[in-house]
Amino acid sequence: MRNPFRATVVALFLAAWPLLPVQAQKITIAALTFVSSSPLFIAQDKGYYAEEGLEVEFSFFRAAQPVAVAIASGDADFGVTAFTAGFYNLAGQGALKVIGAQSREEPGFDFSGYLVSNQAYAAGFTSPEKFPGRSLGMTQYGSSFHLMIGMLADELGFPLSEVKLVPLQSVPNMIAAVKSGQVDSIILPAHIVKALEAKGNGRIVGWVHQYTPYQLGGLFTSTRNVTERREVVEKFVRAYQRAATEYHEAFNRLDADGRRVFGEKAEALLPIIQKYTKAKPQSIYNGAPYIDPLGRLDVGSVYAQIAWFKENGLVDEKVDPAEILDLSFIEGHFNIPE
Amino acid sequence: MAEPAHRADEPVREVPFRGGGFAPRRLRHLAPPFFLLLLLLWEGASRAGLVSPLALPPPSSILTALSDLAASGDLRRHLEASLYRLVAGWILGTSAGLLLGLLIGISSLGRTLGIPLVAALFPIPKIAMLPLFILWFGIGEPSKLATIALGAFFPTVINAYAGIDNVPRSLVRMGQSFGLSHRAIVFEILLPGALPGILAGARISSSIALVLLVAAEMIGAQYGIGALVLQAGNLMRTDQLMAGVVVLSLLGLTISALIGLAERRLLAWR
Amino acid sequence: MQLLFEEVGHAFDGLRVLEGISLSVAAGETLAILGPSGCGKSTLLAIAGGLLRPARGRVRLAGTPPAGCLNPLTYVFQDFALLPWRTVAGNVALALEATLDRRARRERVAEVLRRTGLSDFAAAYPRQLSGGMKQRVGIARALAVRPAVLLMDEPLSALDAQTRELLLEEFLTLWREARTTTLYVTHNLDEALRIADRICVLSRRPGRIRGLLEVPLPVAERTAPENAARIGELRAELWRMIAEEVRAADRELASAREPVDG
Ligand SMILES: Nc1ncnc2c1ncn2[C@@H]1O[C@H](COP(=O)(O)OP(=O)(O)OP(=O)(O)O)[C@@H](O)[C@H]1O
Ligand SMILES: [Mg+2]
Repeated sequence: MRNPFRATVVALFLAAWPLLPVQAQKITIAALTFVSSSPLFIAQDKGYYAEEGLEVEFSFFRAAQPVAVAIASGDADFGVTAFTAGFYNLAGQGALKVIGAQSREEPGFDFSGYLVSNQAYAAGFTSPEKFPGRSLGMTQYGSSFHLMIGMLADELGFPLSEVKLVPLQSVPNMIAAVKSGQVDSIILPAHIVKALEAKGNGRIVGWVHQYTPYQLGGLFTSTRNVTERREVVEKFVRAYQRAATEYHEAFNRLDADGRRVFGEKAEALLPIIQKYTKAKPQSIYNGAPYIDPLGRLDVGSVYAQIAWFKENGLVDEKVDPAEILDLSFIEGHFNIPE
Repeated sequence: MAEPAHRADEPVREVPFRGGGFAPRRLRHLAPPFFLLLLLLWEGASRAGLVSPLALPPPSSILTALSDLAASGDLRRHLEASLYRLVAGWILGTSAGLLLGLLIGISSLGRTLGIPLVAALFPIPKIAMLPLFILWFGIGEPSKLATIALGAFFPTVINAYAGIDNVPRSLVRMGQSFGLSHRAIVFEILLPGALPGILAGARISSSIALVLLVAAEMIGAQYGIGALVLQAGNLMRTDQLMAGVVVLSLLGLTISALIGLAERRLLAWR
Repeated sequence: MQLLFEEVGHAFDGLRVLEGISLSVAAGETLAILGPSGCGKSTLLAIAGGLLRPARGRVRLAGTPPAGCLNPLTYVFQDFALLPWRTVAGNVALALEATLDRRARRERVAEVLRRTGLSDFAAAYPRQLSGGMKQRVGIARALAVRPAVLLMDEPLSALDAQTRELLLEEFLTLWREARTTTLYVTHNLDEALRIADRICVLSRRPGRIRGLLEVPLPVAERTAPENAARIGELRAELWRMIAEEVRAADRELASAREPVDG
């Protein structure tokens, strides 16, 4: 109990314990209103949390970083976001644990795409192999976009220093910059790059899953929950898995030719996802990422990401992936380093 | 001692004192130990685990982060980039501001058009203009310089023309009565007379430039103290973030000291 | 040089300030101008120096300026009008910068400062000087350009009585030496009677010439005890003219709302 403020809150909470209804356990979920957070919403609207005896309150954020901070500070219990250097540095402080998967770049499921400006495309930037000598707009150093271009550089065997990285802070800035040709390329989720391409604002030259499939994000909770409220975490995970399975069956199907198909199940889930994300159906279909039905993590990918961030001086050397992960809540995590 | 006598049968009392106060002075030698104590308390609280080092890194780790940055040469690169932007942007904005301020100060046309223009544009948050600047000037240095220059421009205009307005007209009349040229009246009377206002404006515009530095370096900056602070925040490296903040604060102190020096030099006549 | 006012009249936004001023200030003459507050004395002086364009009439300058004259019409101001960021020497030099080279300027400044007893203060800034010293600088600056006509607008009124007396004594000598044509605005009857060859009394606003009075005694003899009665008579006559105008002006002020100055 290092934080006296938290101690006070806990003390007050314990003092008020007899006044609280005993049946439902309250949890707070920190969430972004992205399609990749869909299982969180489905579990709520379909009553899976309630069936587990959990009373859920959502706390919505506009950026990934605060979600992780909210969990680490104890202001929220569960969250899902993409992995970034900032996330790993925060997790490395020991206050939060990754217990499952969010989405991942899975072959066959277009998610993050390389979008090239019209000018650069006309000048011959027609495939990811042509990245050397070009510029890439991204939010920040240490973001998942930075990681993706870094992994691509390793995969295709060119030094990352040959790509001019341009931090632009926000996705709208990235879009504006590629539209106007200020940067040659950006990497963004499918619903955005497809819409940009459809409007003639750039060309998609490839998908991240085609070059560097990886574990995009995770499901995490506070270390305190893991140690002190284990049964609550287990209940939450069960509800999350039910919803993830449902999402997976609706949105992650491929037909015999490997094309994505959406059916009645997807249609049935649309209203729930729309309610939270306010996205149009076409945008949801375009941007629905691959989510493991059981929340299983590509553990090796997490290790590789941390190693890459460390190599580039973005994650503290002290951060140990084994310390960040708690693989005990979900069975079937794969690609686990020995 | 013959004077102070009074009749024995009359009540006598001393005049009660009711003056004093309301004249705060700077007590010498008190500030440094006070700040040292503050730093020690902060360090102690951190060591004792009272505050999380993530939420508020202790002075020692800020210092370590700072010396790491210095040792790797990054600090120099960040500082160089920022100083260039600050100095170039500020000089650009200030010279343009002085020019418009002078026009408003001496020409009816300048005043008629300039004042409403400044009144309309000054309150626009420069940070909100950043996306536009990027469209106009690109993501390279020009948009960063433009942000800082624009921040420095308006306070300079306002202080320059207010300074000129404050020069007593009798001095201008005097200059004319001695047959001074237009030019001499501007350079020997109006501008020196406006100098206190202009320097006060420089204090404001340099602080604004420093604030805008962080905003300017949000976009497309690999190096720069502002970029360092932002990046450290994103990477959850709060020790580096605080190190950057310390550097910004030192920069601010240095600039303030330089302007103080200029004031003592140029305004010795006051 | 001679200064000629010909039917000079002026109004500020319909406020009639001066009317029908025809006056000739002879070469070498000192003419004092007296009049109630607000009657247009300063306005008249501004017109005389070319700082204000009169609405009617004109002012002309006759004769040739004295040798070395750099600024024929030169003012001494009531509020001194010194540049606070220039030293005493710098203030005096200001008027010479356009016309004299550095060396000539330095010599001229040194000479004028010596004549006005300011040599020790050459490097001082105005804020370090008393009011009397400041006006000494103002006068030194005026003398430095070797004026043909001195225009003095209540030059001593910002000073205390003793300082005024002292300066008056000192500069009477200087003025008489140079015999510069002088227009001297004042509120002070004794000052006027002390220095002027003639005294022009203006009426209340709009200012017209109410009377012109010659002071028939040489300046040097005016303080002599045997002339006290003669001066007293002149003073009484002046006072009669002025008091009437001031009283009338006060009554008008009470009955009409005055447009605000400036
Ligand atoms: N620039 C101006 N604009 C409008 N009115 C003015 C201006 N200057 C002077 N006046 C008005 O003109 C009148 C005469 O002013 P002036 O300064 O000439 O009077 P004065 O005789 O010098 O008075 P005082 O004895 O108080 O110095 C006053 O009523 C004054 O308010
Ligand atoms: Mg006057």
